[in-house]
Amino acid sequence: MASTAQSANTALPKGVSPLRAGTGTSFLWRRLHSLTGIVPVGLFLLEHLISNAEILNGANAYNGQVKFLTGLPFRLWLEIFGIFLPLLYHAAYGVYIWWRGENNVIDYALKGNWFYTLQRYTGVLVFAYVAFHLWTMRFTGIHLTEHYDASVWKVQTELAHPLMIAVYAVGMLAACWHFGYGLFLFAAKWGIVTGEKAQKRAQVLGIALGLLLTLLGLVTIYSFVTRPAQEKNPLWEQPVQEQSQLMAPAATVR
Amino acid sequence: MAKTPRIIIVGGGLAGLSAAIKVAEAGGSVDLFSVVPVKRSHSVCAQGGINSAKNLKGEGDSTWAHFDDTVYGGDFLANQVPVKQMCEMGPSIIDLLDRMGVPFNRTQEGLLDFRRFGGTLFNRTAFAGATTGQQLLYALDEQVRRFESEGKVRKFEYWEFLSSVIDSKGTCRGICAMDLRTMEVLTFPADAVLIATGGIGAIFGKSTNSVVCTGSAQSALYQQGAVYANAEMIQVHPTAIPGEDKVRLMSESARGEGGRVWVPKNPKETRAGKDVPEGERMYFLEEWYPKYGNLVPRDIATRAIHKVVHTLGLGVQGLPMVYLDLSHIDAATLDKKLGGILEIYEKFVGEDPRKVPMKIFPGMHYTMGGLWVDNDQQTNIPGLYAIGECDYSIHGANRLGANSLLSCIYAGFIAGPHSMKYAAGLGADPEDLQASFDAEKKRQLELNNHLIENQGTENPFQLWREMGETMSKNVTVTRYNDNIRETEAKLVELLERYKKVNLSDRSMWSNQSFMFTRQLYNMLQLARAVAMGARLRDESRGSHYKPDFPERDDANFLKTSMARFAGAAEGPRFDWEPVDVSLIKPRPRRYDSK
Amino acid sequence: MANKTVQFKIKRQDGPNSQPYWDEFEIPYRLGLNVISLFMEVALNPVTREGKQTTPVNYDSNCLEEVCGSCAMLINGKARMACSALVDNLEQPIQIEPFSKFPVVRDLQVDRSVLFENLKAVQAWVPIDGTYDLGSGPRVLPQVQEQAYRLSQCMSCSCCMEACPQFNESTGFVGAATIAQARLFNMHPTGKVLKEERLAALMGDGGIQECGYAQNCVEVCPKEIPLTKSISDVGGQVMKKAVLDFFRV
Ligand SMILES: Cc1cc2nc3c(=O)[nH]c(=O)nc-3n(C[C@H](O)[C@H](O)[C@H](O)COP(=O)(O)OP(=O)(O)OC[C@H]3O[C@@H](n4cnc5c(N)ncnc54)[C@H](O)[C@@H]3O)c2cc1C
Ligand code: SF4
Ligand code: SF4
Ligand code: FES
Repeated sequence: MASTAQSANTALPKGVSPLRAGTGTSFLWRRLHSLTGIVPVGLFLLEHLISNAEILNGANAYNGQVKFLTGLPFRLWLEIFGIFLPLLYHAAYGVYIWWRGENNVIDYALKGNWFYTLQRYTGVLVFAYVAFHLWTMRFTGIHLTEHYDASVWKVQTELAHPLMIAVYAVGMLAACWHFGYGLFLFAAKWGIVTGEKAQKRAQVLGIALGLLLTLLGLVTIYSFVTRPAQEKNPLWEQPVQEQSQLMAPAATVR
Repeated sequence: MAKTPRIIIVGGGLAGLSAAIKVAEAGGSVDLFSVVPVKRSHSVCAQGGINSAKNLKGEGDSTWAHFDDTVYGGDFLANQVPVKQMCEMGPSIIDLLDRMGVPFNRTQEGLLDFRRFGGTLFNRTAFAGATTGQQLLYALDEQVRRFESEGKVRKFEYWEFLSSVIDSKGTCRGICAMDLRTMEVLTFPADAVLIATGGIGAIFGKSTNSVVCTGSAQSALYQQGAVYANAEMIQVHPTAIPGEDKVRLMSESARGEGGRVWVPKNPKETRAGKDVPEGERMYFLEEWYPKYGNLVPRDIATRAIHKVVHTLGLGVQGLPMVYLDLSHIDAATLDKKLGGILEIYEKFVGEDPRKVPMKIFPGMHYTMGGLWVDNDQQTNIPGLYAIGECDYSIHGANRLGANSLLSCIYAGFIAGPHSMKYAAGLGADPEDLQASFDAEKKRQLELNNHLIENQGTENPFQLWREMGETMSKNVTVTRYNDNIRETEAKLVELLERYKKVNLSDRSMWSNQSFMFTRQLYNMLQLARAVAMGARLRDESRGSHYKPDFPERDDANFLKTSMARFAGAAEGPRFDWEPVDVSLIKPRPRRYDSK
Repeated sequence: MANKTVQFKIKRQDGPNSQPYWDEFEIPYRLGLNVISLFMEVALNPVTREGKQTTPVNYDSNCLEEVCGSCAMLINGKARMACSALVDNLEQPIQIEPFSKFPVVRDLQVDRSVLFENLKAVQAWVPIDGTYDLGSGPRVLPQVQEQAYRLSQCMSCSCCMEACPQFNESTGFVGAATIAQARLFNMHPTGKVLKEERLAALMGDGGIQECGYAQNCVEVCPKEIPLTKSISDVGGQVMKKAVLDFFRV
């Protein structure tokens, strides 16, 4: 049919595709991501912060807590399935989410959008920080499973440089914020808190919790840094009696 | 098995969509054309509500009372049989809309709530918040989307109807339409064509109508031989908010709650309204109509405002505007009673009507006139139907508030099934059918090419502005034959200048000014019919008011005016058809009694 | 006030695959101008600020009352309706661009049909038996009507989608508007019958899970649709369904 059109070069680009109704698995993966952020990763963060705060009760108390944790039964399996794998999944899928979002906080400098953006950047930050922290505290240096009584010493050595204190403080803030706000996101997305006012409250609560945990963390760091330097326990250079029973790698303090 | 009837529906407002649903439901296959996505049709603008005599308020309302109000309100110019049918169908239409999920306002028992509108004593108007039209349109749109996903409706959105295809026997067999993006012109065959293209506001420049209400489709059909009836019957709303881009409705409740209408006595006044001292204000409604004051009926208010502006030259700052003042009422009371509508003013004018007087002016609102149809909504061209605001039936010389939405749906519900019946009885195709399609397409392509290549100096938007100004000034509220003649001459002049129209955009991809220029021609031709009809009707009836002929003249003008197109230069030719008044005898319509 | 002017610039594009460019304009100031009337002014005299002859701007509009959803565009960087954007409230030069997440048709016109496709995908309608007279509809209490009405005012302008960081080509996210509409019909006494299907649809790829809860949608929505509330609400519905499906199906 003849027409007045110049149809060449005028096909519309496809644009964002419509909903793929009822197909695919991203729902499962995305919700799993959300869930792992709370259980177990978030719970573990809580436990970890509280355990660390044992330092406020003195070096012996802290070392004792490490001993208790490293002594838990099935510790390795707990670590792998309760922490490492979920953490890795949460981190990896999180990066994928971050990569696919189109940050527009410059144009829409709105509160929720800032928090959305922060959630992405804190996530990446925490990921880097945790990797570093694991490396220095869990996989290298004195093995605390074998030498729980060197725990305080190890932490203090790690925090010897002011730069390191800064790194830890920032990591702490990022992790706690990410968790606190993530808790709100969880409640909102899973339809636990749905009302408009209720959500405002939940958001404030989430952030408050994050900040509170940060405070706890900072006090803990402060406590480590200001406490007189701990001896590296002389025991560790000679074979300890129980040592043979503690064969598996371990750690919790990171 | 007989083949599935194919029905083309042009326009996806309330009328078009309700017809589409009926056809799809009856097993027909629908091609639905619209210049905008149907969900964005002008019907979304209706705020007030939809009438039906459900009689849920214990008032003894009846469909007969509704029928009587409608006919009386229309000053007996409407053929009565379809009006009666519509009123009888009203309650079931509301029920259906309710079942489709329209969030109508409710009583505490969970039943439909009704409110009172002008022109009746009954609470007969169902409403959904302040956006009833939007809610109705969405409900129908959703049903059509359902049929679309079942393959029973094909949508052609961003397609503009250019003309119908009429075969050698004079029967409408399809349409010629243009893709607004690719600018491709194609013809589409159908067993019947339903036109549901809405209002003609753009002919008056600025109106309360939406941008696409140009009446271009109606005009094209009129130029192809369809009769355009009661063209002169144009409803003007007294209190509209003049804007740079359009005029927007300001609810009458503003006057109801104590709003005062005034202008500065000094035509050269430059101070802002609120700074003009009391003594220098002219409260003309209160002065001229001491008994009713600001609460005179709509048409009187409208005429008074026109007089102040056009005859006395007292418009605010020399512009066609008067003040509607609420600022003497305390803000808390205003918020309680008028909150929603004050927000509209604030949003679009940017001024707080609690503090400063609002600027308002009557605005063209609705056309009672339209394509002539019989009681089955069929035009004088077989196979071509007209439904909704674009048809002339139901409202006579004046439309009652909240009756239009009902008439649109009613018309769709009549024309849909009837067109299916018609399609089933359609005889064999004439041998030269294809030639009719080819010829129509050729004609349209030639028009396009001519327009694209035309060299001249006239800006189409300027021509449009001038048409709107003369039509609004002379062919709306108060009509004098001399002025109308002036307008008719002006329209001829504009058509002449149109020949020298110059497109600054000659591209053939989504060229809106090109389409607008095409529509402009049709608007000009239709405007001539409106103007001439107004000149010929030497009486006052409903919204048509001539100070030189202040009385209704049933002896000479209880007749439908029928405009037929006599040619591009000649314009319209009129004849008159008697009105069916078989059910209710005409009686005087007095605005001070009811 | 004599020579006050309005300055604005428009990002234009002749066709879907052409390069965008900017045209700058300056017109005399008048009271009550909105962005649409700027375009009308340009149409009357299509000359840029530098005196270059240009073409009238192509843009979608219809109601000019912020109720049809046609005229959405980016004004000073934000998704909003041009008809309710008053010049007096805008910083100049006013910067006007087409939506960035939808294919540009021409100038400020974009193709937003994806939203209508999405509405189809979630069956956003009440599946009535037929249009013949079946008596009155179900009773609905005023409180429920009020909730429904708030959602039902969505005019499909797509502002919420444009502003959403998650709505983009890599996620293919369905956007807030569709989720709110699914909620609306899940709430309706008869519309409910399709609830499971709607939820299943929204659990598909590009579904509700893609929402990152940035809450831009609810901030930009011109009709103040309770979008985040709807997302949470439907979020709860899909979780319930997921859990029940896991144990019962
Ligand atoms: C501000 C305002 C408030 C109102 N309030 C009320 C009220 O409260 N109650 C009431 O009963 N009435 C009211 N009315 C009147 C009522 O809204 C209209 O009469 C009614 O909506 C018209 O519906 P329709 O289906 O005939 O046409 P429309 O809704 O105008 O639809 C026309 C359709 O035709 C299409 N179209 C037009 N030309 C072409 C073409 N050439 N090619 C292809 N498609 C085309 C359009 O795209 C559109 O889809 C109001 C009107 C206005 C202006
Ligand atoms: S909450 Fe944020 S991510 Fe979710 S739909 Fe709204 S803007 Fe998009
Ligand atoms: S939810 Fe709001 S922003 Fe989104 S399409 Fe509807 S009206 Fe527009
Ligand atoms: S033109 Fe309808 S929303 Fe702006």
